[in-house]
Amino acid sequence: MRAITFAGRNIKELLRDPLSYLFCLGFPLLMLIIMTIVNGSIPETTIPAGAAIPEGTPMAPTVFQIHKLTPAITVFGFSFLSLFCCMRVSSDRSGAFLMRLYASPMKGIDYILGYLLPFSVIALAQMILTYAAGDIIAVATGKEAFNVLYMLLSLVLFIPSLLLFIGVGILIGVLFNDKAAPGVCSALITAAALLGGIWMDVDRMGGVWLAICDKLPFYHSVKAARLALSGDFAEMWLPLLICAAYAVVIFCLSVLAFIKKMQSDKK
Amino acid sequence: MKTVIKTTELTKRFGTKTAVDHLNLEIFEGEIFGLLGVNGAGKTTTIRMLTGLSAVTEGDAVVMGHSIKTDYQAVKTITNISPQETAVAGQLTVKENLAFIAKIYGLSKEQTDKNIESVFRTLGLGEVQNQKAKTLSGGWQRRLSIAMALITDPKIIFLDEPTLGLDVLSRRELWKIITALKGKITIILTTHYLDEVEALCDRIAVMANGQLKALGTAAALKEQTGKDKLEDAFVAIVGGDGV
Repeated sequence: MRAITFAGRNIKELLRDPLSYLFCLGFPLLMLIIMTIVNGSIPETTIPAGAAIPEGTPMAPTVFQIHKLTPAITVFGFSFLSLFCCMRVSSDRSGAFLMRLYASPMKGIDYILGYLLPFSVIALAQMILTYAAGDIIAVATGKEAFNVLYMLLSLVLFIPSLLLFIGVGILIGVLFNDKAAPGVCSALITAAALLGGIWMDVDRMGGVWLAICDKLPFYHSVKAARLALSGDFAEMWLPLLICAAYAVVIFCLSVLAFIKKMQSDKK
Repeated sequence: MKTVIKTTELTKRFGTKTAVDHLNLEIFEGEIFGLLGVNGAGKTTTIRMLTGLSAVTEGDAVVMGHSIKTDYQAVKTITNISPQETAVAGQLTVKENLAFIAKIYGLSKEQTDKNIESVFRTLGLGEVQNQKAKTLSGGWQRRLSIAMALITDPKIIFLDEPTLGLDVLSRRELWKIITALKGKITIILTTHYLDEVEALCDRIAVMANGQLKALGTAAALKEQTGKDKLEDAFVAIVGGDGV
């Protein structure tokens, strides 16, 4: 019950900050539209992946096609949740607000759930909005509409990514103060975009870059989301499992870090 | 007089530094008790231990029958604190801040509404009840911070430097509010303002280097040191020069 009360406070703080609408909801939609326009401006090619590309051939990046772009931008949107989550945690810590709560009967689990729940609600809204916008764009640009079942399933399959990004947000908010945390998280947003293959076809690039991306969770998170929306479930499980494993580790680390910080604050 | 807090050899060390050194004192029900000392005297650390915010290194304190070492969760339900820095949720309104804290302490809806009305009357917060906390002035924020400590009906309230950084008028307003609470609730306040303890406190504990140097009413401290002013008495007690 205390967790719900704390979550209620956190969601109010989030919803009353206009920047959270701009970054968590507005920015992913804007990127979706911009990248669709960019994609429409580049001629398509029929050269399959791995085949030799004649010099000077114009390439329409497949990652900007709406069926691949929408799930990737949804994951990209989660990185902004990390930013707002780390800002919430670090600012609560640096002010005396958490000290007041530490003196209350609240327990460690109340804090964690209190931070997790509101950001999960925002993430759900973000997912629905991005997928709905993606579907509208697909139909409007003469592409095939999203499969409703795959879309609904994707929302559930996003849970590991969601936990991963919120966990990262809590972890950064615990480890850094309110001045440093947003900067560190901004670096994460850039890393997630570059290493997740959101704006570039990492598989087509191959080499060292693919090897690096493969070692980190963002690429698997984006890949699982894309495969889920295309209904390619046989291929989806491995990246999903890798992402889930990272999510479990990162989230557990964030919980441990928060509780350890609580205890060290009490020393 | 009923004792509500009794510390026995209460000690806090941070590595080799002793912040609170074998503190022994008793605080009585309904009094305003002042912890007076310069910065680093150990006042805030004492409060942090008494509210369960900081672990005790040695000794113990019993708060209304509950040990802060073994039964701190029970202590948390009967005490509350207004921290040194204003601790309010900026995007929440005054009323929402109060309701939030009341819910955290498990108060029912009816009790919460009743207590909110009560603190509105006591602290005059009714006129800003729908205003977001971040839009309030420093004085009003501090007032809200105290209200958030009172909303849970605590038996004991800790006010850590309640008027620090406030202008003269805001300080005087808060003094009136604290004075109005006298007898209804036990108040422990830390301050380094001598006029504040003299105006508000029934008894004063003077701390220096983590140790209790003197304890008594302002008049008793002056008499004990043979000084006419509390400031001179304080300097004499803590061992400063120029007296």
